[in-house]
Amino acid sequence: MEGLEILTSMFDYQFVRMALVGGALAAIVSAWIGLFLILRKESMLVDGVAHTAFGGVAVGLLLGFDPMLGAVAVSAAAVLGITYMRRKGMAQSDSAVAVMMATGFSLGMIIVSLANGFNVDLMTYLFGSILTVSRTDLLVLSALALFIIGFMVFFYKEMLAITFDEDGARLQGLPVQAMTVAFNLLVAVTIALSIKVIGIILVVALMVLPGLTALQLGRSFKATVVASTAFGTIAALAGIVLSVLFNVSTSGVIVFTAAGIFLFVAAYQRLG
Amino acid sequence: MEPIIEVKGLTVRRGPTEALTNVTFEVDRGDYVGIVGPNGGGKTTLVLALLGLLPRASGSIRIMGQDIDTFDQWEKVGYVSQFAINFDPQFPLTVRELVGLGRVNRRNIGRFRTKEDWESVGSALELMGIAELADRRIGTLSGGQRQRAFVAKALVSDPELLVLDEPVTGFDPVTQERFFMQLANLNQSKGLTILIVSHDLTAVFCRMSRVLCVNREVHGATIVDGTVPDDVLKKGYGEHFHFAFHEHKCRGEFADGRP
Repeated sequence: MEGLEILTSMFDYQFVRMALVGGALAAIVSAWIGLFLILRKESMLVDGVAHTAFGGVAVGLLLGFDPMLGAVAVSAAAVLGITYMRRKGMAQSDSAVAVMMATGFSLGMIIVSLANGFNVDLMTYLFGSILTVSRTDLLVLSALALFIIGFMVFFYKEMLAITFDEDGARLQGLPVQAMTVAFNLLVAVTIALSIKVIGIILVVALMVLPGLTALQLGRSFKATVVASTAFGTIAALAGIVLSVLFNVSTSGVIVFTAAGIFLFVAAYQRLG
Repeated sequence: MEPIIEVKGLTVRRGPTEALTNVTFEVDRGDYVGIVGPNGGGKTTLVLALLGLLPRASGSIRIMGQDIDTFDQWEKVGYVSQFAINFDPQFPLTVRELVGLGRVNRRNIGRFRTKEDWESVGSALELMGIAELADRRIGTLSGGQRQRAFVAKALVSDPELLVLDEPVTGFDPVTQERFFMQLANLNQSKGLTILIVSHDLTAVFCRMSRVLCVNREVHGATIVDGTVPDDVLKKGYGEHFHFAFHEHKCRGEFADGRP
């Protein structure tokens, strides 16, 4: 009974409620965008861009503007840079990601050393800080998440067509290049949003694990999208609640929960 | 009647080499055309150029009377690529969803699908005899079923021109024959113009009305009584080539009357 009381009383705290709303929105968006990245075989793009965003966070902290803006700007530049390098044949996909990741992260390290460290602030971006999300943060996060969800709903069939067969989509008259650039920018924004929840180090897990879990089910595309966002949301909500209950790292528990769901579903599909 | 495809003086380069040189030919509406020729002769290059997916070094292409550079009715062209069935088998797509993608085009960007879209999907599935597979994942289909699903996708927007690049590679003879007969029915019943890249000369001569023999150049001929003039094939395959048609009768009639 005592445990149940603690569980229900935690929802009295505004910071928990805000964390749950922010975490759920970021998880939905991350899982949805992440599923497309898995199917485009670009999962590691997330890790590369997230690490590049470290440079943007450091610039923001140094110059005194919102580090999330810095993360969004640098992530967008990184995604566009990687796409450009691949298209122009300057580097293979994984090499382009490696170049951007190393450049962005080293920029962050230089700035951190110049500023003699940012202590706690920097740590919250490296490891996430959804429990400290402010009302303004939540509003920005919600607006961006709703924008991304809107884009994915309205261009659902076009994004599916391009992801499945780019040449075929081009032949059908779809603006493949423009939509790919738009999608890549959404990837950058999604990564920046997820950094707030889970941190630079683990952002790839929030974006890839739910989609990977949903793919184990072997269902239609629509069902896979629904399952992916559901798994992501469950992991985020359970992770936040459990981390408050047991006073442990929120991002760690979110990823651990997502990995646990993946293992359970994968085992069930094979043994069940 | 205006030809559905007009190609004049077309030259296409693939890297430093000329894959097609000064090619000129026409395809009339309702033609059922087999594109044949040796490996590396430029068949796929020709198809990709006709679809505007490869740049031209020189020459012109007109589709449905419109220059290809300004052609804006791609929804009237169905295409199944040589590599269509080599998709990632884990891709989470049902046959119904795959065929539905054939209805996506620049005219309905950002719009939700309509009842009419799904009715067209149902009709295309019926037409290709795969309605019972609608909810199956495409990765679980056999080669023949996959190919029919992709043709259904190409047909779902009710095209006037259907282009298929080596659609029967790896099929057993019975499945292959059934597939070509299905296309012949579509050609005759709907007046659909069909271009097929194929290595099966027997099927081409038996089922189709014209042949384009491609080997950097294109030599066309009308198929009469299952044959074409020898010199057309010799120009494509070389002087040593001789096509032996043992029985002057086409395959494809099943004892049980299956279509």
